[in-house]
Amino acid sequence: MRTVFTFSLMTLRMLFRRRTLWGILLVILLGLGGIASVPTFDVSNQGRFILDFGLFGIEVGALLLALGLAASLYPRDRETKTIMPLLAVPLSRGQYLMGRFFGAALVQAAALLVSCLGLMLILLFNGLPIPGNLLPATLLILVEGWFLLSTVFFFSFFASPPLNWPLTTMLFIVSQMSVAEFIGLMPSSPGLMRTLRLLLPHADVFHIKDPIAHGFEIEPLYFVVAVFYGLCYSAFMLSLALAVFRGRDLK
Amino acid sequence: MRASLLFAAALLAISGCVEDYDVAEVAPGEHLDEEHHHEEGDYCEECHDDHDHDHAHADEEGVHHSGDATPSGHSHDAGVRNHGTQWFFNQPWAARFIWGKLARDGAMFLLLAGIIFFLSGRRRRR
Amino acid sequence: MNENPPLKVTDLRKDFPGRKGIGTVHAVSQISFEVRPGEIVGFIGHNGAGKTTTIKCALGLLKPSGGRVSLWGLPPASAAARKRIGYVPENPDYERTFTPMEYMTMFASMRGLDGDEKDWTALLERVGLKGWERTAIRQFSKGMQQRMSLALALQSKPELLVMDEPTGGLDPVARKEFRDIILEENRRGAGIFLSSHILSEVETVCHRAVMLSRGMLIAQGSMDELLGSERTFRLTAENDSGDSVELEVPESALQAKIDKAREKGLKITRVEQKMKTLEEVYIAVSGGGKA
Repeated sequence: MRTVFTFSLMTLRMLFRRRTLWGILLVILLGLGGIASVPTFDVSNQGRFILDFGLFGIEVGALLLALGLAASLYPRDRETKTIMPLLAVPLSRGQYLMGRFFGAALVQAAALLVSCLGLMLILLFNGLPIPGNLLPATLLILVEGWFLLSTVFFFSFFASPPLNWPLTTMLFIVSQMSVAEFIGLMPSSPGLMRTLRLLLPHADVFHIKDPIAHGFEIEPLYFVVAVFYGLCYSAFMLSLALAVFRGRDLK
Repeated sequence: MRASLLFAAALLAISGCVEDYDVAEVAPGEHLDEEHHHEEGDYCEECHDDHDHDHAHADEEGVHHSGDATPSGHSHDAGVRNHGTQWFFNQPWAARFIWGKLARDGAMFLLLAGIIFFLSGRRRRR
Repeated sequence: MNENPPLKVTDLRKDFPGRKGIGTVHAVSQISFEVRPGEIVGFIGHNGAGKTTTIKCALGLLKPSGGRVSLWGLPPASAAARKRIGYVPENPDYERTFTPMEYMTMFASMRGLDGDEKDWTALLERVGLKGWERTAIRQFSKGMQQRMSLALALQSKPELLVMDEPTGGLDPVARKEFRDIILEENRRGAGIFLSSHILSEVETVCHRAVMLSRGMLIAQGSMDELLGSERTFRLTAENDSGDSVELEVPESALQAKIDKAREKGLKITRVEQKMKTLEEVYIAVSGGGKA
C-alpha cells in the first residue's frame, strides 16, 4: 500500500506541475461564471437555472478532467520510456495503474471541489440560497468522474489519446441514455442494443441536479447506494484496464 | 483464448443479472400513480409556485397544475407525477424499488473485478 | 551450475509481428546463459542483435514467446526478485519537472528503504551529480540522466545490477567513472550483467561474455576462453634483397617457424606479441555482425 500511496503522490505532484489541469479548471470556472451572467426573467427561476446548468457544467468538467489528466498518462510514459525504470524495479503493473489512478483521482476531486465552491460563490453573489445537497451532488459527480477516469485508463492501454477522447465521450453520452433511446440508435437490432445498454453504466444514477434545482429532498441512503454502485463499476473498469496492461509488451 | 471465453461468459452473465433501470419500463404500478410527497414543513418550490409562474413554467416543461381550467387544456396538482412530469420522477433517486438492484449489481461488478484481477495475474505469472 | 543463479535464461525466444503485421520477426532465438553470483558478465552484440529484448524479458517488461527466464529461481515480474536488482536502462528518461532528490526519495519510499536525504546526497555525489540534487531534470544532459539512473539503481544495494548500454554517449572520463563504480559494486558482492557494444570496455571489466548476433547466441565463455589462452606473435623476416614478410604465429609454433625461416636464409628482424581483441573475436565469430 505504501508503494501505491507514494506513487499516487508522485502522480499528483506531476499533474499539478503540468499545465493541463490549470487549463481545464479555468475552463470550468469560466463556464460557471458564464452561466451566472446569463440574464433571466425571474429571480426565482435564476436559482434553479444556475443550479441546473452549474451542476451540468461541473459534470462536463469531470469528463474533461478525466480525459485531460489521464488520456495521455500511460501513452506518454511509454513513449518517453519513463515507465521502464518504474516497472523494472519498484512497481508492479498493478501498483503503477493504481498509483496513477489515485493520483489523478485526487487531482480530479480537488478540481471538482473548487468548482463546487465556485458555484456556491456564484449563488451567494446572486443572493440565492445554497441547497444542503449541493456538496453530496458534487460527490456523486465526482464518483461519476472516477468512473470516467477508470474508463479513460482502460482505453489508454490500447488507444492513442486522439482515439481515447471520442471513445470515452461516446461512452459518457450513451450512459446518459435510457434503454429506449439507446435502442432507437439501431432499431433493426433491438435485442443486441438492449443487451449492450444493460452492460453499459447507468449514469443517471449520479444525476441529482434536477431534484436539487427544484428543492426536493433526497434520502441519504440513495447517496450510499449510488456511491457504492459507482465505485464498484470503477473497480470493474480498472480490473479490465489492468488485464489489458498485463498483456502488453513494453518494447 | 480461455480468458477471452471466460470474459465473454461473464458479460453474458451480467446481461442476465443486470436489470433494466429504465424506471418508466420497470416501475410497479403504485410508483407510476404516486403523488408527490414531502415532509411537512419542508419547503418545496413546486408546491409554492404562484399561479402565473406555474403557467410560465408549464409552457417550458409541460407541467400543468390542478384547479386551473384554461381554454388550452387541463392541469394537475403541483409537484405531482403525471404525464408531464414523468421525466422528472422516472429517475433513480425517485425510484426506491431499484436501489436494491443497484446495490446488487454493484456487488456483482466488484466480484467480477476480483475475478478478472486474479485471472490476469495468473496469466502474466505463467 | 548454480541451481538458482541471479539470472538464468533457458532457450529464450521472443518474436514480434513483422512490419504492418505481416510475418514474424524473430528478435531472439533459443538463447541460454546465466549470470552467477558475484560475476560480471558482458552481453555484446551489434545494433539490433537482441540485447535489449533479452534484458527486457529478464526484467518482465516483455513476455517471452518461448523458453524461460528466472531471477534466483523466481519469475521476473515477482516482487521478491525485483527487490534484489538494480536496473540502468538504455537512454533513460525521467519526468522533467522532478529533481534527482525527489526521485531518490520517492524510489526509496516505494522500495521500502531506510535512508534520508543525506544518504541520497552522498550517492548522487558518488555518481558525479554533486550540486545538482535539487535541479529539475529538464536541465540535465543525456549523460547526467544516465548518472541519475545509476544512482537509482545503486540505491537499494542490489545483488544484481542489470545495465543496458550504460556508457553509450558518455565521454571517456565519465565512462571510466562508470567502470570504477561497476568494479566497486562487484567488490561489494554484486553480480553485474552489462550490455554494451563498446567491446574494449567489456574486455576490461568483465569476467565472462555472451555474444549475440541476429538474435542468436554465437559464443559465450570467460575472457580467456574467448580471446584464447595461447598467445599469438607477429614474426617479421627479411631476405638479402631487403624484402620482408610478416607472419602471425601461435606461441606453440613460434620456435619452429623461426628455425624454418633461418634455414631458408631469412633474417628475423622482429618478434612481437599480438594482442587479440574481443572485437576481432566477435567480428570473426559473427561473420561481420550485420543486423
